[in-house]
Amino acid sequence: MIRFENVTKVYDQKARPALDSVNLEIDRGEFAFLVGASGSGKSTFLRLVLKEDRATSGAVYVAGQNVAKISSWRVPRLRRGIGVVFQDFRLLPQKNVFANVAFAMQVIGKSRSVIRDTVPEVLKTVGLEGKEHRMPHELSGGEQQRVAIARAVVNRPGILLADEPTGNLDPTTSMGIMGVLDKINQNGTTVVMATHDDDIVNEMRKRVVELKNGVVIRDEARALYTSMIPVVGQSRRLKDASGRESPDGGLPGKGAEGEAQR
Amino acid sequence: MRLAFILSEIGSGLRRNLSMVVSVILVTFVSLTFVGAAGMLQMQINQMKGYWYDKVQVAIFLCSEGSTAPGCASGPVTPEQQQGLNALLESPAVSQYINDFQFESKDEAYKHFKDQFSNSPIVDSVTPDQLPASFRINMKDPEKYQIISETFSSQPGVETVIDQRQLLERLFSVMNGASLVAVGIAGVMIVCAILLIATTIRLSAFSRRRETGIMRLVGASKTVIQLPFILEGVIAAVIGAALASGTLWAVAQFFLGDYMSRQYPDTAFISSGQTLILAPALLILGGSLAGISSLLTLRRYLRV
Ligand SMILES: Nc1ncnc2c1ncn2[C@@H]1O[C@H](COP(=O)(O)OP(=O)(O)OP(=O)(O)O)[C@@H](O)[C@H]1O
Ligand SMILES: [Mg+2]
Repeated sequence: MIRFENVTKVYDQKARPALDSVNLEIDRGEFAFLVGASGSGKSTFLRLVLKEDRATSGAVYVAGQNVAKISSWRVPRLRRGIGVVFQDFRLLPQKNVFANVAFAMQVIGKSRSVIRDTVPEVLKTVGLEGKEHRMPHELSGGEQQRVAIARAVVNRPGILLADEPTGNLDPTTSMGIMGVLDKINQNGTTVVMATHDDDIVNEMRKRVVELKNGVVIRDEARALYTSMIPVVGQSRRLKDASGRESPDGGLPGKGAEGEAQR
Repeated sequence: MRLAFILSEIGSGLRRNLSMVVSVILVTFVSLTFVGAAGMLQMQINQMKGYWYDKVQVAIFLCSEGSTAPGCASGPVTPEQQQGLNALLESPAVSQYINDFQFESKDEAYKHFKDQFSNSPIVDSVTPDQLPASFRINMKDPEKYQIISETFSSQPGVETVIDQRQLLERLFSVMNGASLVAVGIAGVMIVCAILLIATTIRLSAFSRRRETGIMRLVGASKTVIQLPFILEGVIAAVIGAALASGTLWAVAQFFLGDYMSRQYPDTAFISSGQTLILAPALLILGGSLAGISSLLTLRRYLRV
């Protein structure tokens, strides 16, 4: 679904590349975490998928298509196939929940009746039924992020990119959001999530791609946030945070047993 | 649906920076009024030139009933006198100074008069008998008017010899000067209008960057993203152009039509209907100025 071939991205000639010869393939329907320190290139990775920026060298393929070869008037079509969620939700403050989600359909010309049918359905998927008419400022952060997710997936994109979607949320709320993302993933959408949230990564036990200074230093299936440090201290925090919401039914702390295998 | 969406976006955009939109309307209104005023002055000059102005320089009016000039003491011009004048015009003494000449009969004079004064009430009170027949002379050198005047003034059957250039040229040069001033002011005002439109669109794009950012991310096309902004500028400018057209019409209708034509009944003024041909030009000018300046602004300030 997403393939990076030797991708290098240089923003500033004098600085080190934001991404350095990255080779990576994410399959259709996969759920992958992108982890790494601040400035390691996670957001850059996502921007390249969206063709927000051009790779300096190498090729980025999305759904089999080399994005460098997509002409500028076709970029909107590429983006319709990709949903995006950010740390800061980016809702329209003067529109209510329904209108915020409907907006994503209006601007690509969906008919009123399709919008009327689809939006409540999606709001239900993200667990917001009955809150259609709330304004964003009347929602908690977690609820706002659910609206943002609903908006990102309402046009049924094949890919969902999430850039630190839980960065502003407390651990419990974060786990709720992860449940939503997991559900969307179960429905067949490829999910790529950049995050610093070790608890979440450890809890979910999905594929983890770790970047450091623009280089992929780790790529493991069913992995933990970090392969270096034993995560003894984290298990308690995870327990407090996640409650019983763990989507794969795994017990909190299970990750402490060791690193993922690959 | 997409159209309805774009329209509602335009509506909210116009509401959001109402004061900027009003200033765009006013600036385009004023600038296009000056453009239109220059156009109206030129139309007025053409109107006053009448049928002959660009073709000939000198007119020899022949006696008609009721002519009081000394040369007309023997009554209206006779066919023999007319023949004699024709022969004199063709004689080498005179023809060396002229390119050609034409005879305008009373009926032709009436027809040309009607055309020129079509907007004036005077046209109803004039009959062909009241208008003199004339010879219209195209001079090789208009400065030689005196020669024609001296030769013909004393001829029998001639009422008067007129150098029509001398009558109107000064007035026209004043009017042309006024047109130039109007065009100059219009030019400056148009620059203001363009800059103001660009600023307005930039502010508008800035205040809606959240929306446009989301539109971009969910894959809205460039048209859907940009059109509301462009149309916002175009609509404001077109309203300004419509106001300018209305103002010009009102000037022609009430100032020229009601006031000036009563003050100067023997001058042909343009009609208010004639100014309406300026309206489409002003609307297109205003609309395209706004369209182009907002398009250029958006290229710099709105990522799509
Ligand atoms: N638009 C830009 N212009 C110049 N340099 C940039 C730009 N965007 C990112 N960078 C640089 O590229 C590098 C990678 O940035 P990126 O935003 O991808 O990091 P990140 O992994 O998302 O970090 P964080 O976890 O803090 O979000 C950083 O060194 C950053 O300074
Ligand atoms: Mg980032």
